[in-house]
Amino acid sequence: MQMQTLHLLSTSTSSSSSLSTFVSLNCCRCQFSNQLPFPCKTNLGFVKVKRQSKVSNLKAGFWESIRSGFVKNNTVQVIESPSNEEEEEEEPLPEEFVLIEKTQPDGTVEQIIFSSGGDVDVYDLQALCDKVGWPRRPLSKLAAALKNSYIVATLHSRKFSSGEEGNGEKKLIGMARATSDHAFNATIWDVLVDPSYQGQGLGKALIEKLIKTLLQRDIGNISLFADSQVVEFYKNLGFEPDPEGIKGMFWYPMY
Amino acid sequence: MAVAAAVHGGYLPSKFRSISGKTVSQSKPTPPPLFISTNPNDVIPNHLKNLYSLCNHSCHRFPKLNSEGRVEPVDLNKLRKALHHSYIVVSVFTRPAFVPGLVPELAPSLTGIGGDWIGKVVPVTPSNGELVGFGRAVSDSGLTAAIYDVMVIPSLRRRGIGRKIVQRMLRILVNRDIYDIAALCSDQEKPFFRACGFGDDVLASTTMMYTRSASADSEDEQIVKYAGRKLLLAPSLRGNLKT
Repeated sequence: MQMQTLHLLSTSTSSSSSLSTFVSLNCCRCQFSNQLPFPCKTNLGFVKVKRQSKVSNLKAGFWESIRSGFVKNNTVQVIESPSNEEEEEEEPLPEEFVLIEKTQPDGTVEQIIFSSGGDVDVYDLQALCDKVGWPRRPLSKLAAALKNSYIVATLHSRKFSSGEEGNGEKKLIGMARATSDHAFNATIWDVLVDPSYQGQGLGKALIEKLIKTLLQRDIGNISLFADSQVVEFYKNLGFEPDPEGIKGMFWYPMY
Repeated sequence: MAVAAAVHGGYLPSKFRSISGKTVSQSKPTPPPLFISTNPNDVIPNHLKNLYSLCNHSCHRFPKLNSEGRVEPVDLNKLRKALHHSYIVVSVFTRPAFVPGLVPELAPSLTGIGGDWIGKVVPVTPSNGELVGFGRAVSDSGLTAAIYDVMVIPSLRRRGIGRKIVQRMLRILVNRDIYDIAALCSDQEKPFFRACGFGDDVLASTTMMYTRSASADSEDEQIVKYAGRKLLLAPSLRGNLKT
């Protein structure tokens, strides 16, 4: 028994984090019972450490910049964020361009603007979802989903009367978004176009732009789950149903 | 009692055997002592790369296979990026002694009465354990999630480890109110996910993947990308729209 405790201590002191003793003791209990170890405490401990070090890095940078601001002249740059090693790879640069420009017989100009900046008003999106007949989803979840999607491509319609450029009313008429792990896989969700603007190739343009951006980032597994009435639409865009037997399965909670 | 004994011994008469499809004499699989971590920092990318090779698992859905049917090793930089941007990363470790085929170095001073009992009772940690299982999920933190790359080394399969990985991910997702959880799986993986509680979509949606490949007869320059053995063609956006 003595030897055993000694061994425990030696394994814990050899690892870097100071919280490791806490971790290994917890696991010890779980291992003995040979059941699924409950994760909560151990992980929370690790997360706390990480956040503290991030804050302390920020603080150090701040004081450094103040100090160096007094010493040198103001050519020194501001704090570098502690997490910039991952940001070397570019995120998809937000694009915005006019897709179509139409002039009505009465002189008003309508522009369809494509944007991949993800600047979507959640209420507008909710209204658009209602228009196409989709079930309502909680707004907070919608907002979180939009914020954490890899690409959010939108189509807005802007109308102005003849002679008056800019400052027309912008209306959301289409959206498509994709989630991804930024490296291998991407899934396209939530593709919708306002019913009064359908049939013009707008949905096709949305998806094609998404695919182009994803392929440019070397993301090769682009998948989506299509309702039965839009399978043909996606087939025309180059998607194959159940390729080589690959199917998507969904989780069913059994209460 | 007599029936129970017969079941255990496997001597069930045929009319009972037809009730359940599986052989009833099989005992429930028990996994070795495990450390299941959801901390992405516990995963060392190089070890993960080896795990991918061991399991012959590719990140590409249509992998290029060499003459022996092995997939090419996964790109380490892309793997790091994928790990960093995965919503959940689950890694499973166990003591090297429990991995069949892996010879552990036994410290002679610790083997006493009962063999390496110290090795058996000291808890597994990511630093002293071998990475034997992995799974990750990508999500938009609000509505949907997709599970990818669930794998366990071949020698430790069919012992419930893969199931534990998936259940851990499901528990985290449900706790964060995400219920739309998808998993892309090939024919071989379907029974596994079915056993974990996945099924075909309620709304009967069709799974589709982008597979438009570059054709040999291309007039102008095309943007193409390799994805495993497929050479995907990026769509050109010229002249598609009716004005």
